Amino acid sequence: MVSQKDREILRAEIRSRNNKLNAADREDLLKPYLPDPSELSTPQRSRASTSSSQRRQKARKTPIRSFIKSQIHRLTYAITHIIFGIIVRLLQAYHAVVDRIFAIVYHHHRTPELIRKDVRGLKRIPQHLSVILTLRSEDDALAVLMDEVAELTAWSACAGIHQLSVYEKTGALKFCIPALHQIITTKLASYYGTPSHQPSLQLFAPHHPVHGDTPDPNSENPALALLLLSSTDGRETLVDLTKTLAEMSQNGKLSPEDITPELVDAEISEITTQPLQADSASGAAKILKPEPDLLLVFAPFLKLDGYPPWQIRLTEMYCTGDRNHALNGDGEAVEYQGFMRGLWHYAGAQMRFGR
Amino acid sequence: MAGSMHLSRLRNWFLASPPIEFAINTLKELLVGALRQGPIPQHVAFVMDGNRRFARSHGIETVEGHNLGFEALARILDVCYKSGVKVVTIYAFSIENFKRSKFEVDALMDMAKVKLSQMTQHGDLLDRYGAKVRVLGRLDLLKPDVLAAVNKAVDLTSRNGDRVLNICFPYTSRDEITTAIRHTVEDYSKPLHPGNGHARTPFSESHIAHNIRAQTLGSKTHDTQSDSESTSAESSGQEDDNILRNDHANRIYESGSSFSSSTTLHLGQQDPQHPKTTVQGKTSDGESPAFISPETISRQTLSDHMLTKGTPPLDILVRTSGVERLSDFMLWQCHENTEIVFLDVMWPEFDLWHFMPVMLGWQRRISKSRQNPDAEGNFAGDSPESSEEDMDNMVLRQGKVKAV
Repeated sequence: MVSQKDREILRAEIRSRNNKLNAADREDLLKPYLPDPSELSTPQRSRASTSSSQRRQKARKTPIRSFIKSQIHRLTYAITHIIFGIIVRLLQAYHAVVDRIFAIVYHHHRTPELIRKDVRGLKRIPQHLSVILTLRSEDDALAVLMDEVAELTAWSACAGIHQLSVYEKTGALKFCIPALHQIITTKLASYYGTPSHQPSLQLFAPHHPVHGDTPDPNSENPALALLLLSSTDGRETLVDLTKTLAEMSQNGKLSPEDITPELVDAEISEITTQPLQADSASGAAKILKPEPDLLLVFAPFLKLDGYPPWQIRLTEMYCTGDRNHALNGDGEAVEYQGFMRGLWHYAGAQMRFGR
Repeated sequence: MAGSMHLSRLRNWFLASPPIEFAINTLKELLVGALRQGPIPQHVAFVMDGNRRFARSHGIETVEGHNLGFEALARILDVCYKSGVKVVTIYAFSIENFKRSKFEVDALMDMAKVKLSQMTQHGDLLDRYGAKVRVLGRLDLLKPDVLAAVNKAVDLTSRNGDRVLNICFPYTSRDEITTAIRHTVEDYSKPLHPGNGHARTPFSESHIAHNIRAQTLGSKTHDTQSDSESTSAESSGQEDDNILRNDHANRIYESGSSFSSSTTLHLGQQDPQHPKTTVQGKTSDGESPAFISPETISRQTLSDHMLTKGTPPLDILVRTSGVERLSDFMLWQCHENTEIVFLDVMWPEFDLWHFMPVMLGWQRRISKSRQNPDAEGNFAGDSPESSEEDMDNMVLRQGKVKAV
């Protein structure tokens, strides 16, 4: 809200690099933009009681003006929200139509070849894809969720993604790993046909044993590792690590100076990759990345909801619903076109480490 | 190309003309005032990304781009504080950024120093309007002259009002989390002082043992009971005094045990009966110093050791320039209920017009979740919808799904 003229003065001063303006000049320049002291409605900051009484006097002088002002603001608030609401609804309708068109044009038809064709043109594919799903509140929510996970697994396997991690806040999936494995195998069968063509699947969760067959290094079928995460793998894990470190330090086994980002990183990464590292030592050469490359959020807007914080340092994030500011409370439906849009988006983004 | 340049010049001239400028400013004031009427996020964070790319695309020097970025920061801080945001956190410089060209790093450092030292020249203005400035990050990586400017600015504004500006200066979130863990471990590996230990733990084992002994003995001998009665009469039954008395008695008891050979103390007659227990207690205390149990470490403990301690939870995180990554910023703070917004606009261009939809969207969601009491505190609204509009919308969507 600075006028062009004053801005030019300031810029010229910065450019010249010798302080032409002294403190007083700058204050003069600044004065017109500072709010009137009487408008500062923060009673806590009235350290000097005199200034607050002055303020009250001043406020008393113009009661009508300030009343009208507040009414105008309230009116503007209502109007902006109505307009914003209309725009949001229009955008939602527009995107709903676009989504449907996408869904028709891009459909997998349970054919791995079609999915492979869809990703062929992409410049890069994430090695480690992560998704955030929400458990809905209906009765068959868990069944729906497991089906979604199975679909995502099949799509990822077809698209050539080696590692998929599924985050669900409550951790309900972790309690039914064998059942989930069964469902996914069935789903893969419906995509790939006979078991000999199916990709080998390994299903695991932190502090749970690996469920599934070890990938055969000689087979051409792609291998996929599926990792289940929940909110306890986030802050709780860091708290547990701190507890262990504190105990070691109390027993004199570790000095606090030894705690470096590298140590924490190694410890945290091991939790999500450990069961498979043992396998890779035995021959299956597979690189497991603890940090996901792409995080797909199937939700109306981008909220991490307790996703493990340590791993997402450089993760690209994509929210399938964030374009339309949708307000329907439940998570977005997991759809193939949303998955594809995320992959495209990822391929178009430019990667720059260290900003 | 030339045409577009003329057009942009014409546009700039038009926008800079006094009546238009006045109208725009009034409109901005009005909008900010209107924003105030709704719910306002307490804590907003910005990743100021895109200065370099803006400079590149506009054919100006990188340093110039950073200067324009600073203007944008001033603009947006103005909007935030006027609309009632309490804490603004900005990502000014990453530890990784030290890898950039020396020229650019020096220019950025210079800019920070100049801005901070300029700020300190306006002492009274800062007192009246200023926010508390805090610099988060690895200050030990800074050059001494910059560090001096930082410290001066932080000191000068430390007594300011309730608005806070957190500048993440050489900062990465992993470093922050690691430091928090290290400090927690350091806190927990400080042995409790033996004397303090008894004062801090509400009950001490040796004292309970003593009490039991006193009770069993008290039925036989009357002089210990009368002794305790006389002390309790002095303490007039108040809790604090009671603890003090217990502590006092405890100390007497312990000193008694250390000089266990001398039986001149008033508890001396018990010593021959239970000499073993007291000696055991003594040696176990001496061998391993007492620590606070690591099991008491919680998320809150770690949060309290983060650099952002004492600030309200992060409500909105905005990253400009269309890069959809956190780049090691506020990982601990933003992974729960924060709304993360990636905007496809370079930071120097960032203004109220881009920030307004973010705020409106947030306000909308918050007021929706407040209307629906089941979703209180969880503005994703995991519960079924109550609003008719949304029902309509869902029906519409479902209809479309079916149509497909």
